[in-house]
Amino acid sequence: MIGRMTSMGRTDLPPEQQAALRSAVRWEWFTIAYTCVTIALIALVVGGSQAMKTAWIEDMLSLIPQISFLVALLLIRHRPTRGFPYGLHRAMGVGHLVAGVALLAIGGSLAVESVIGLVRAEHPAIGTVTVFGQTVWLGWFMVAVMSVIVIGPFFYGHAKAKLAPVLHNKVLYADADMAKADWTTTVASIVGVLGIGIGWWWLDGAAALFISAGIVWDGWRNARSAVLDLIDQRARTHDDADPHPLADRIVQHLRAQPWVADASVRMRDMGQVFHVEAFVVPRRGRVRLARVEDARAGIAELDWKVQDVVVIPVETLPDETRGKERS
Amino acid sequence: MRRVSAVTAVLALCAAVLTGCGLSIPTDPDGTLDRVTGDVLRVGASPSGELVVVTSTDAVSGPLPDLVTGFAESRDARVVWTVGSEEDLVDALETGELDLAIGGMTEATPWTDRVSVTRGFSGIPASGGHPVVILLPLGENALQSALETYLDGEVGP
Repeated sequence: MIGRMTSMGRTDLPPEQQAALRSAVRWEWFTIAYTCVTIALIALVVGGSQAMKTAWIEDMLSLIPQISFLVALLLIRHRPTRGFPYGLHRAMGVGHLVAGVALLAIGGSLAVESVIGLVRAEHPAIGTVTVFGQTVWLGWFMVAVMSVIVIGPFFYGHAKAKLAPVLHNKVLYADADMAKADWTTTVASIVGVLGIGIGWWWLDGAAALFISAGIVWDGWRNARSAVLDLIDQRARTHDDADPHPLADRIVQHLRAQPWVADASVRMRDMGQVFHVEAFVVPRRGRVRLARVEDARAGIAELDWKVQDVVVIPVETLPDETRGKERS
Repeated sequence: MRRVSAVTAVLALCAAVLTGCGLSIPTDPDGTLDRVTGDVLRVGASPSGELVVVTSTDAVSGPLPDLVTGFAESRDARVVWTVGSEEDLVDALETGELDLAIGGMTEATPWTDRVSVTRGFSGIPASGGHPVVILLPLGENALQSALETYLDGEVGP
């Protein structure tokens, strides 16, 4: 039971979410450490391959979602205050947007770079290195490094993909989604290098273009999802696939109250939690304060995500809270 | 994990196909090394102290030209010299009129986006310990590998 209107919303989590969050934080730190190692490894072999360079920059960019997740976590645990009456949950959305825009911009510039390289027919140069007195073509080391680092994202990608729905966290979900698709980048860079090896210089630029198109696509999806939540679209599931089912459950809960003739809800995604405005049409012209307060508490008990709730008695339900969604 | 094994399979397939075709890796996109072997190596020279000496009759000598001649001999080729300024040589490499260019260029050379540049070799006499590089047409990686392998053997680390 939550306290009677001492504070709107809540910033602590139930045990299952707390465990998931701790696990997510551990995975994010692990990912950052792993990615730093891969960035250093690729730096040793990056050479003249545009595909390798693109994959390298993609690796650096992939740190942004993790860092913004960890930074946002520090902010969203602050309780709502007079200055920030909704809490700081939107920090997660801002982090999401920053990650999306960074991916879009840098992915776009890398795509342009690889197209220019292809049009100008710039043949990528990869020389040799000496290892233990042997002269070895650097391309082999590129292939070796990329074959080794392809493994990591499978583990942390799937682990985070399991945690994201539990926490209803879109940054984590997007991060996991990108990690799961990371192997295509790695394989593309290997193909590019082997292309250079057999004298098909254009394969390198083509692979770089493929990788940068992937970065642009990730950026577009992330930026779009972040913007839609920041401009308060109707709350949707963590993967943006469907309207969030909690909205319907809240309406059903309210309609089940004997004093309520009809109800509807306006619910927006604040980042990890929702902000709910519930509209009720009472059967009579008078409503007892305790009933409104009970309805509010009842909704808050439905789910940990819906703690910031207001219940507003109205004569007729607002149009935008009813009927089919315009797509 | 299915994808990891798929990746491994693709790589194994690539390796098998490549070796099966008798391809050597790296291969030159424009086939310079193949053309040079047993024929003519066209080398541009830009005078630089005692490293690359050009006489009045355009005869080229010095420790670096000697190395290039040695490389050509290792490929059963003879060297045809062209003397010019560094920029002329880079232009000629770009248009395919030269196969190599030598001079006082070091690892700090600014031509890296127009031509391929070998690793720096500090062990060449009269180079004053500077890491001397040789320029070649952009992306002719087989030629570069062969040249660097030869230089490693002669003046290598």
